[in-house]
Amino acid sequence: MDGATFLARVAEYRADGWRLAIINTTSILPAEGMEHGAFDISWSFARDGALEHLREQVLPGEEVPSISASFGAAFLYENEMRELFGVNVTGMALDLKGQLYKTATIVPFAPSAIRARLDAMAKKA
Amino acid sequence: MKRTVVPMGPQHPVLPEPLVLDLVLEDEKVVDAIPTIGYVHRGLEALVERVEYTEFGYVVERICGICSFMHGMGYAVAMEKIMAVEVPERASWLRLIWAEMSRIHSHLLWLGLGADAFGFENLFMHCWRTREAVLDIFEKTTGGRIIFSVNKIGGVRRDMADTELAAIVDTLQQLGAGFAETARIFETDPSIRHRLAGVGVLSREDAHAVDAVGPMARASGIRLDTRLTGTHLYDRLEFEPVLETAGDCLARVVVRVREIGQSIDLIRQAVERMPKAEGAPIEVKVRGLPTGETFERLEQPRGEVIYYIKANGTKYLERFRARTPTFANIPAMIRLVKGCDLADVPNIIMTIDPCISCTER
Repeated sequence: MDGATFLARVAEYRADGWRLAIINTTSILPAEGMEHGAFDISWSFARDGALEHLREQVLPGEEVPSISASFGAAFLYENEMRELFGVNVTGMALDLKGQLYKTATIVPFAPSAIRARLDAMAKKA
Repeated sequence: MKRTVVPMGPQHPVLPEPLVLDLVLEDEKVVDAIPTIGYVHRGLEALVERVEYTEFGYVVERICGICSFMHGMGYAVAMEKIMAVEVPERASWLRLIWAEMSRIHSHLLWLGLGADAFGFENLFMHCWRTREAVLDIFEKTTGGRIIFSVNKIGGVRRDMADTELAAIVDTLQQLGAGFAETARIFETDPSIRHRLAGVGVLSREDAHAVDAVGPMARASGIRLDTRLTGTHLYDRLEFEPVLETAGDCLARVVVRVREIGQSIDLIRQAVERMPKAEGAPIEVKVRGLPTGETFERLEQPRGEVIYYIKANGTKYLERFRARTPTFANIPAMIRLVKGCDLADVPNIIMTIDPCISCTER
Protein backbone atom coordinates (compact mmCIF):
# COMPACT_ATOMS: atom_id res chain seq x y z
CA MET A 1 0.00 0.00 0.00
CA ASP A 2 1.48 3.40 -0.91
CA GLY A 3 1.69 6.16 1.69
CA ALA A 4 -1.31 8.17 0.45
CA THR A 5 -3.60 5.12 0.29
CA PHE A 6 -2.47 4.03 3.73
CA LEU A 7 -3.15 7.45 5.27
CA ALA A 8 -6.55 7.58 3.59
CA ARG A 9 -7.45 4.19 5.11
CA VAL A 10 -6.31 5.44 8.52
CA ALA A 11 -8.41 8.61 8.12
CA GLU A 12 -11.44 6.42 7.33
CA TYR A 13 -10.98 4.58 10.60
CA ARG A 14 -11.00 7.88 12.49
CA ALA A 15 -14.03 9.14 10.59
CA ASP A 16 -15.90 5.91 11.35
CA GLY A 17 -15.37 6.29 15.10
CA TRP A 18 -12.52 3.85 15.66
CA ARG A 19 -9.79 4.59 18.17
CA LEU A 20 -6.12 3.79 17.92
CA ALA A 21 -5.54 0.76 20.13
CA ILE A 22 -1.90 -0.07 19.50
CA ILE A 23 0.87 0.26 16.94
CA ASN A 24 3.13 -2.74 17.15
CA THR A 25 6.47 -3.42 15.52
CA THR A 26 8.07 -6.84 15.23
CA SER A 27 11.59 -7.16 13.89
CA ILE A 28 12.16 -9.75 11.21
CA LEU A 29 15.69 -11.07 11.48
CA PRO A 30 18.17 -10.77 8.60
CA ALA A 31 17.98 -13.76 6.27
CA GLU A 32 18.94 -14.69 2.77
CA GLY A 33 17.44 -12.16 0.36
CA MET A 34 16.81 -9.71 3.22
CA GLU A 35 20.26 -9.06 4.61
CA HIS A 36 19.26 -6.20 6.94
CA GLY A 37 16.02 -7.79 8.08
CA ALA A 38 12.70 -5.94 8.07
CA PHE A 39 9.91 -4.68 10.28
CA ASP A 40 6.42 -6.09 10.50
CA ILE A 41 4.29 -3.15 11.61
CA SER A 42 0.63 -3.33 12.57
CA TRP A 43 -1.70 -0.45 13.31
CA SER A 44 -4.66 -1.69 15.34
CA PHE A 45 -7.96 0.12 15.71
CA ALA A 46 -10.70 -0.68 18.20
CA ARG A 47 -14.42 0.06 18.22
CA ASP A 48 -16.62 -1.58 20.81
CA GLY A 49 -15.53 -5.22 20.87
CA ALA A 50 -13.88 -5.18 17.44
CA LEU A 51 -10.17 -4.89 16.76
CA GLU A 52 -8.95 -4.39 13.18
CA HIS A 53 -5.42 -4.13 11.88
CA LEU A 54 -3.52 -2.59 9.00
CA ARG A 55 -0.22 -4.36 8.40
CA GLU A 56 2.85 -3.53 6.38
CA GLN A 57 6.29 -5.01 6.09
CA VAL A 58 8.94 -2.33 5.67
CA LEU A 59 12.69 -2.44 5.22
CA PRO A 60 15.11 -0.55 7.47
CA GLY A 61 15.45 3.01 6.23
CA GLU A 62 12.17 2.92 4.32
CA GLU A 63 9.89 5.84 5.19
CA VAL A 64 6.76 5.15 7.24
CA PRO A 65 4.31 8.06 7.33
CA SER A 66 3.04 9.19 10.70
CA ILE A 67 -0.69 8.77 11.30
CA SER A 68 -0.75 11.55 13.87
CA ALA A 69 -2.82 13.78 11.57
CA SER A 70 -5.73 11.38 12.13
CA PHE A 71 -4.80 9.96 15.53
CA GLY A 72 -3.05 12.53 17.72
CA ALA A 73 -2.03 9.88 20.25
CA ALA A 74 0.07 8.06 17.65
CA PHE A 75 3.12 10.19 18.37
CA LEU A 76 4.05 8.11 21.40
CA TYR A 77 3.95 4.79 19.53
CA GLU A 78 5.83 6.36 16.62
CA ASN A 79 8.59 7.80 18.77
CA GLU A 80 8.93 4.41 20.40
CA MET A 81 9.14 2.68 17.00
CA ARG A 82 11.93 4.97 16.01
CA GLU A 83 13.88 4.83 19.26
CA LEU A 84 13.61 1.14 20.04
CA PHE A 85 13.45 -0.34 16.53
CA GLY A 86 14.96 2.29 14.24
CA VAL A 87 11.85 2.59 12.05
CA ASN A 88 12.08 5.72 9.91
CA VAL A 89 8.78 7.40 10.83
CA THR A 90 8.22 10.74 9.10
CA GLY A 91 5.94 13.67 9.92
CA MET A 92 5.26 12.96 13.59
CA ALA A 93 3.07 15.54 15.34
CA LEU A 94 5.43 15.59 18.32
CA ASP A 95 8.98 14.52 17.53
CA LEU A 96 10.77 13.77 20.80
CA LYS A 97 14.09 13.50 18.94
CA GLY A 98 15.29 10.38 20.67
CA GLN A 99 14.42 11.66 24.16
CA LEU A 100 11.52 9.31 24.96
CA TYR A 101 13.56 6.40 26.26
CA LYS A 102 16.96 6.28 27.84
CA THR A 103 18.46 3.02 26.66
CA ALA A 104 22.04 1.84 26.99
CA THR A 105 21.91 0.33 23.49
CA ILE A 106 20.91 2.42 20.49
CA VAL A 107 17.82 0.93 18.80
CA PRO A 108 17.93 -2.25 20.91
CA PHE A 109 15.13 -4.03 19.03
CA ALA A 110 16.50 -3.44 15.50
CA PRO A 111 16.87 -6.70 13.51
CA SER A 112 20.66 -6.37 13.47
CA ALA A 113 20.79 -5.77 17.26
CA ILE A 114 18.63 -8.83 17.98
CA ARG A 115 20.73 -10.94 15.58
CA ALA A 116 23.92 -9.82 17.32
CA ARG A 117 22.48 -10.73 20.76
CA LEU A 118 21.31 -14.14 19.59
CA ASP A 119 24.68 -14.87 17.94
CA ALA A 120 26.51 -13.85 21.13
CA MET A 121 24.27 -16.13 23.22
CA ALA A 122 24.80 -19.03 20.81
CA LYS A 123 28.57 -18.52 20.99
CA LYS A 124 28.46 -18.49 24.80
CA ALA A 125 26.40 -21.68 24.85
CA MET B 1 5.33 36.86 26.64
CA LYS B 2 8.58 35.42 27.91
CA ARG B 3 8.57 31.63 28.18
CA THR B 4 10.24 29.63 30.93
CA VAL B 5 10.92 25.92 30.92
CA VAL B 6 10.47 24.20 34.28
CA PRO B 7 11.59 20.58 34.33
CA MET B 8 9.26 18.52 36.53
CA GLY B 9 10.78 15.20 37.63
CA PRO B 10 12.19 12.64 37.37
CA GLN B 11 11.98 12.93 41.17
CA HIS B 12 9.00 14.84 42.52
CA PRO B 13 7.04 14.49 45.78
CA VAL B 14 3.85 13.36 43.99
CA LEU B 15 5.52 10.97 41.56
CA PRO B 16 5.88 7.41 42.86
CA GLU B 17 7.93 6.61 39.77
CA PRO B 18 10.27 8.66 37.60
CA LEU B 19 8.84 10.75 34.79
CA VAL B 20 9.99 14.05 33.35
CA LEU B 21 7.75 16.71 31.95
CA ASP B 22 9.46 19.78 30.59
CA LEU B 23 6.80 22.37 31.29
CA VAL B 24 6.89 25.42 29.06
CA LEU B 25 5.35 28.31 30.99
CA GLU B 26 4.04 31.74 30.19
CA ASP B 27 3.82 33.31 33.62
CA GLU B 28 2.00 30.60 35.67
CA LYS B 29 0.22 28.99 32.69
CA VAL B 30 1.55 25.83 31.08
CA VAL B 31 1.60 26.24 27.29
CA ASP B 32 3.42 23.05 26.40
CA ALA B 33 4.70 19.86 28.02
CA ILE B 34 7.36 17.54 26.61
CA PRO B 35 7.49 14.08 28.22
CA THR B 36 10.59 11.98 28.79
CA ILE B 37 10.30 8.48 30.17
CA GLY B 38 12.81 5.66 30.12
CA TYR B 39 14.24 5.94 33.62
CA VAL B 40 12.91 2.50 34.52
CA HIS B 41 13.04 0.91 31.07
CA ARG B 42 14.16 -2.65 31.76
CA GLY B 43 13.84 -4.16 28.30
CA LEU B 44 11.51 -6.88 29.63
CA GLU B 45 10.03 -7.48 26.18
CA ALA B 46 13.48 -8.36 24.87
CA LEU B 47 13.76 -11.18 27.40
CA VAL B 48 11.69 -13.40 25.10
CA GLU B 49 15.00 -13.99 23.35
CA ARG B 50 16.36 -15.94 26.32
CA VAL B 51 13.45 -16.96 28.57
CA GLU B 52 11.34 -19.93 27.47
CA TYR B 53 7.64 -19.33 26.89
CA THR B 54 6.73 -21.57 29.82
CA GLU B 55 8.74 -19.34 32.17
CA PHE B 56 8.00 -16.00 30.55
CA GLY B 57 4.84 -15.51 32.61
CA TYR B 58 7.08 -14.85 35.62
CA VAL B 59 8.72 -12.00 33.68
CA VAL B 60 5.40 -10.58 32.51
CA GLU B 61 3.92 -10.34 35.99
CA ARG B 62 6.98 -8.37 37.04
CA ILE B 63 6.20 -5.60 34.56
CA CYS B 64 4.45 -3.90 37.46
CA GLY B 65 3.82 -4.60 41.12
CA ILE B 66 0.27 -3.27 41.08
CA CYS B 67 -1.08 -4.96 37.97
CA SER B 68 1.04 -8.10 38.32
CA PHE B 69 -1.89 -10.52 38.52
CA MET B 70 -3.55 -9.13 35.42
CA HIS B 71 -0.30 -9.08 33.46
CA GLY B 72 0.17 -12.74 34.32
CA MET B 73 -3.43 -13.46 33.40
CA GLY B 74 -3.18 -11.61 30.08
CA TYR B 75 -0.09 -13.55 29.12
CA ALA B 76 -1.64 -16.90 30.07
CA VAL B 77 -4.89 -16.17 28.24
CA ALA B 78 -3.05 -15.04 25.10
CA MET B 79 -0.86 -18.14 25.09
CA GLU B 80 -3.90 -20.35 25.64
CA LYS B 81 -5.49 -18.75 22.60
CA ILE B 82 -2.40 -19.39 20.46
CA MET B 83 -2.12 -22.98 21.67
CA ALA B 84 -5.90 -23.61 21.45
CA VAL B 85 -6.06 -24.64 25.10
CA GLU B 86 -9.45 -24.75 26.79
CA VAL B 87 -9.09 -23.78 30.42
CA PRO B 88 -11.32 -25.39 33.09
CA GLU B 89 -14.22 -23.08 33.92
CA ARG B 90 -13.32 -22.90 37.59
CA ALA B 91 -9.90 -21.50 36.68
CA SER B 92 -11.54 -18.69 34.68
CA TRP B 93 -13.81 -17.81 37.61
CA LEU B 94 -10.86 -17.75 39.99
CA ARG B 95 -8.98 -15.49 37.58
CA LEU B 96 -11.95 -13.12 37.42
CA ILE B 97 -12.13 -12.94 41.22
CA TRP B 98 -8.42 -12.23 41.62
CA ALA B 99 -8.60 -9.70 38.77
CA GLU B 100 -11.37 -7.74 40.47
CA MET B 101 -9.50 -7.89 43.79
CA SER B 102 -6.52 -6.42 41.93
CA ARG B 103 -8.73 -3.56 40.80
CA ILE B 104 -9.84 -2.89 44.39
CA HIS B 105 -6.30 -2.85 45.74
CA SER B 106 -4.99 -0.75 42.83
CA HIS B 107 -7.74 1.86 43.20
CA LEU B 108 -7.25 2.02 46.98
CA LEU B 109 -3.52 2.42 46.52
CA TRP B 110 -4.05 5.18 43.98
CA LEU B 111 -6.71 6.97 46.02
CA GLY B 112 -4.23 7.06 48.89
CA LEU B 113 -1.49 8.45 46.69
CA GLY B 114 -3.94 10.95 45.20
CA ALA B 115 -5.02 12.11 48.65
CA ASP B 116 -1.39 12.51 49.65
CA ALA B 117 -0.76 14.54 46.48
CA PHE B 118 -3.56 17.00 47.22
CA GLY B 119 -2.50 17.26 50.83
CA PHE B 120 -5.02 15.08 52.67
CA GLU B 121 -2.64 12.75 54.47
CA ASN B 122 -5.24 11.31 56.81
CA LEU B 123 -7.25 10.07 53.85
CA PHE B 124 -4.11 8.50 52.43
CA MET B 125 -3.76 6.48 55.63
CA HIS B 126 -7.41 5.36 55.59
CA CYS B 127 -7.14 4.15 51.99
CA TRP B 128 -3.96 2.19 52.57
CA ARG B 129 -5.28 0.70 55.81
CA THR B 130 -8.38 -0.46 53.92
CA ARG B 131 -6.17 -1.91 51.16
CA GLU B 132 -4.35 -4.11 53.67
CA ALA B 133 -7.44 -6.34 53.96
CA VAL B 134 -7.26 -7.05 50.22
CA LEU B 135 -3.55 -7.83 50.40
CA ASP B 136 -4.28 -10.20 53.28
CA ILE B 137 -6.76 -12.08 51.07
CA PHE B 138 -4.17 -12.27 48.32
CA GLU B 139 -1.63 -13.62 50.77
CA LYS B 140 -4.05 -16.22 52.06
CA THR B 141 -5.20 -17.37 48.63
CA THR B 142 -2.02 -17.11 46.56
CA GLY B 143 0.84 -16.99 49.05
CA GLY B 144 1.95 -13.55 47.85
CA ARG B 145 0.94 -9.97 48.51
CA ILE B 146 2.36 -8.38 45.37
CA ILE B 147 3.60 -11.04 42.97
CA PHE B 148 1.28 -14.04 43.00
CA SER B 149 2.39 -16.41 40.23
CA VAL B 150 -0.92 -18.24 40.33
CA ASN B 151 -1.52 -17.97 36.60
CA LYS B 152 -0.08 -20.54 34.29
CA ILE B 153 -0.74 -21.45 30.70
CA GLY B 154 -3.65 -23.86 31.02
CA GLY B 155 -5.23 -22.52 34.20
CA VAL B 156 -4.26 -21.50 37.71
CA ARG B 157 -2.03 -23.06 40.34
CA ARG B 158 -4.25 -22.66 43.40
CA ASP B 159 -7.89 -23.22 44.15
CA MET B 160 -10.02 -21.56 46.80
CA ALA B 161 -12.35 -23.56 48.99
CA ASP B 162 -16.02 -22.69 48.64
CA THR B 163 -16.12 -21.68 52.31
CA GLU B 164 -13.07 -19.49 51.73
CA LEU B 165 -14.80 -17.80 48.79
CA ALA B 166 -17.82 -17.06 50.97
CA ALA B 167 -15.54 -15.62 53.65
CA ILE B 168 -13.82 -13.43 51.04
CA VAL B 169 -17.16 -12.00 49.94
CA ASP B 170 -18.00 -11.26 53.59
CA THR B 171 -14.65 -9.58 54.19
CA LEU B 172 -14.95 -7.48 51.03
CA GLN B 173 -18.50 -6.42 51.84
CA GLN B 174 -17.35 -5.31 55.28
CA LEU B 175 -14.49 -3.48 53.60
CA GLY B 176 -16.99 -1.79 51.29
CA ALA B 177 -19.18 -0.75 54.20
CA GLY B 178 -16.20 0.59 56.11
CA PHE B 179 -14.96 2.43 53.04
CA ALA B 180 -18.29 4.22 52.57
CA GLU B 181 -17.29 7.08 54.86
CA THR B 182 -13.95 7.51 53.11
CA ALA B 183 -15.78 7.45 49.77
CA ARG B 184 -18.19 10.13 51.00
CA ILE B 185 -15.26 12.34 51.96
CA PHE B 186 -13.65 11.91 48.54
CA GLU B 187 -16.88 12.88 46.81
CA THR B 188 -18.12 15.70 49.01
CA ASP B 189 -15.36 17.24 51.13
CA PRO B 190 -15.16 20.97 50.33
CA SER B 191 -11.35 21.10 50.48
CA ILE B 192 -11.08 18.23 47.97
CA ARG B 193 -13.68 19.77 45.70
CA HIS B 194 -11.86 23.08 45.88
CA ARG B 195 -8.66 21.37 44.77
CA LEU B 196 -10.04 19.02 42.10
CA ALA B 197 -13.43 20.16 40.78
CA GLY B 198 -13.14 21.90 37.44
CA VAL B 199 -9.38 21.21 37.29
CA GLY B 200 -7.83 19.33 34.37
CA VAL B 201 -11.04 18.95 32.38
CA LEU B 202 -10.89 16.39 29.58
CA SER B 203 -14.03 16.80 27.53
CA ARG B 204 -15.70 13.79 25.93
CA GLU B 205 -14.50 14.96 22.51
CA ASP B 206 -10.93 15.43 23.72
CA ALA B 207 -10.92 12.03 25.44
CA HIS B 208 -11.98 10.48 22.15
CA ALA B 209 -9.44 12.53 20.18
CA VAL B 210 -6.51 11.32 22.31
CA ASP B 211 -7.84 7.75 22.58
CA ALA B 212 -7.99 7.76 26.37
CA VAL B 213 -8.79 4.48 28.11
CA GLY B 214 -9.99 3.24 31.49
CA PRO B 215 -11.26 5.49 34.29
CA MET B 216 -9.73 8.41 32.39
CA ALA B 217 -12.18 7.88 29.50
CA ARG B 218 -15.09 6.86 31.71
CA ALA B 219 -14.73 10.05 33.79
CA SER B 220 -15.28 11.97 30.55
CA GLY B 221 -18.48 10.09 29.80
CA ILE B 222 -17.11 7.53 27.34
CA ARG B 223 -18.62 4.07 27.82
CA LEU B 224 -15.37 2.24 27.22
CA ASP B 225 -14.49 -0.87 29.19
CA THR B 226 -13.01 -4.09 27.83
CA ARG B 227 -15.22 -6.02 30.26
CA LEU B 228 -18.17 -4.98 28.08
CA THR B 229 -16.91 -7.33 25.37
CA GLY B 230 -18.07 -10.16 27.62
CA THR B 231 -14.83 -12.11 27.49
CA HIS B 232 -13.31 -13.85 30.53
CA LEU B 233 -16.82 -14.67 31.87
CA TYR B 234 -17.93 -11.06 32.28
CA ASP B 235 -20.87 -11.92 30.04
CA ARG B 236 -22.20 -14.05 32.91
CA LEU B 237 -22.29 -11.08 35.29
CA GLU B 238 -24.43 -7.99 35.48
CA PHE B 239 -22.07 -5.20 34.65
CA GLU B 240 -22.39 -1.61 33.55
CA PRO B 241 -19.31 0.66 33.64
CA VAL B 242 -19.19 3.54 36.11
CA LEU B 243 -19.45 6.78 34.17
CA GLU B 244 -19.02 10.42 35.08
CA THR B 245 -19.36 13.32 32.70
CA ALA B 246 -17.46 16.26 34.22
CA GLY B 247 -14.10 14.99 32.92
CA ASP B 248 -12.19 16.81 35.68
CA CYS B 249 -9.79 15.54 38.34
CA LEU B 250 -12.69 15.01 40.76
CA ALA B 251 -14.61 12.91 38.23
CA ARG B 252 -11.60 10.63 37.80
CA VAL B 253 -11.44 10.20 41.58
CA VAL B 254 -15.17 9.49 41.82
CA VAL B 255 -15.08 6.87 39.06
CA ARG B 256 -12.36 4.94 40.90
CA VAL B 257 -14.12 5.29 44.26
CA ARG B 258 -17.30 3.80 42.79
CA GLU B 259 -15.45 1.09 40.90
CA ILE B 260 -14.28 -0.30 44.23
CA GLY B 261 -17.89 -1.00 45.22
CA GLN B 262 -18.58 -2.35 41.76
CA SER B 263 -15.67 -4.80 41.92
CA ILE B 264 -16.88 -6.04 45.32
CA ASP B 265 -20.27 -6.68 43.76
CA LEU B 266 -18.73 -8.43 40.73
CA ILE B 267 -16.84 -10.76 43.08
CA ARG B 268 -20.07 -11.47 44.98
CA GLN B 269 -21.84 -12.29 41.71
CA ALA B 270 -18.94 -14.48 40.58
CA VAL B 271 -18.94 -16.48 43.80
CA GLU B 272 -22.71 -16.92 43.57
CA ARG B 273 -22.70 -17.98 39.94
CA MET B 274 -19.60 -20.13 39.69
CA PRO B 275 -20.36 -23.83 39.96
CA LYS B 276 -19.78 -25.15 43.45
CA ALA B 277 -17.10 -27.51 42.37
CA GLU B 278 -14.35 -27.39 44.93
CA GLY B 279 -11.78 -29.98 43.91
CA ALA B 280 -12.73 -29.69 40.22
CA PRO B 281 -9.82 -29.28 37.79
CA ILE B 282 -8.21 -25.86 37.74
CA GLU B 283 -5.65 -26.51 35.03
CA VAL B 284 -4.98 -28.62 31.99
CA LYS B 285 -1.57 -29.89 30.96
CA VAL B 286 -0.16 -27.95 28.05
CA ARG B 287 2.28 -29.66 25.74
CA GLY B 288 4.06 -28.71 22.54
CA LEU B 289 5.52 -25.57 21.13
CA PRO B 290 3.36 -22.57 20.26
CA THR B 291 2.94 -21.30 16.72
CA GLY B 292 0.93 -18.28 15.69
CA GLU B 293 0.11 -14.81 16.92
CA THR B 294 -2.64 -13.08 18.81
CA PHE B 295 -3.79 -9.83 20.35
CA GLU B 296 -5.42 -10.07 23.77
CA ARG B 297 -7.24 -7.31 25.66
CA LEU B 298 -8.05 -7.00 29.35
CA GLU B 299 -9.45 -4.22 31.51
CA GLN B 300 -6.76 -3.50 34.05
CA PRO B 301 -7.43 -1.06 36.91
CA ARG B 302 -5.96 1.77 34.84
CA GLY B 303 -7.75 0.77 31.66
CA GLU B 304 -7.37 -1.40 28.62
CA VAL B 305 -4.14 -3.34 28.24
CA ILE B 306 -3.28 -5.04 24.97
CA TYR B 307 -0.85 -7.91 24.61
CA TYR B 308 0.60 -8.98 21.29
CA ILE B 309 2.37 -12.34 21.18
CA LYS B 310 3.99 -14.01 18.21
CA ALA B 311 5.28 -17.55 18.51
CA ASN B 312 7.32 -19.37 15.89
CA GLY B 313 7.22 -22.99 16.91
CA THR B 314 10.27 -22.83 19.16
CA LYS B 315 10.44 -22.62 22.93
CA TYR B 316 11.27 -18.91 22.65
CA LEU B 317 8.63 -16.41 21.57
CA GLU B 318 9.41 -14.17 18.62
CA ARG B 319 7.68 -11.14 20.08
CA PHE B 320 5.90 -10.12 23.24
CA ARG B 321 4.42 -6.66 23.47
CA ALA B 322 2.32 -5.05 26.20
CA ARG B 323 0.57 -1.78 25.47
CA THR B 324 -0.37 -0.64 28.91
CA PRO B 325 -3.15 1.80 29.85
CA THR B 326 -0.75 4.45 31.11
CA PHE B 327 1.03 4.41 27.75
CA ALA B 328 -2.34 5.05 26.09
CA ASN B 329 -3.19 7.83 28.54
CA ILE B 330 0.03 9.87 28.27
CA PRO B 331 -1.29 11.88 25.28
CA ALA B 332 -4.38 12.68 27.39
CA MET B 333 -2.16 13.80 30.25
CA ILE B 334 -0.22 16.13 27.95
CA ARG B 335 -3.47 17.52 26.56
CA LEU B 336 -4.69 18.24 30.11
CA VAL B 337 -1.51 19.88 31.30
CA LYS B 338 -1.50 22.38 28.44
CA GLY B 339 -3.39 25.45 29.54
CA CYS B 340 -3.51 24.63 33.23
CA ASP B 341 -1.87 26.46 36.13
CA LEU B 342 1.55 25.22 37.20
CA ALA B 343 0.17 24.46 40.69
CA ASP B 344 -2.41 22.05 39.23
CA VAL B 345 0.08 19.96 37.24
CA PRO B 346 0.83 17.45 40.05
CA ASN B 347 -2.86 16.69 40.63
CA ILE B 348 -3.53 16.33 36.93
CA ILE B 349 -0.65 13.91 36.52
CA MET B 350 -1.79 11.93 39.54
CA THR B 351 -5.37 11.58 38.30
CA ILE B 352 -4.33 9.61 35.23
CA ASP B 353 -2.98 7.09 37.79
CA PRO B 354 0.34 6.82 36.00
CA CYS B 355 2.22 3.55 36.17
CA ILE B 356 5.61 4.23 34.67
CA SER B 357 6.93 0.69 35.18
CA CYS B 358 4.06 -0.61 33.08
CA THR B 359 4.60 2.05 30.46
CA GLU B 360 8.29 1.42 30.01
CA ARG B 361 8.39 -2.34 30.54
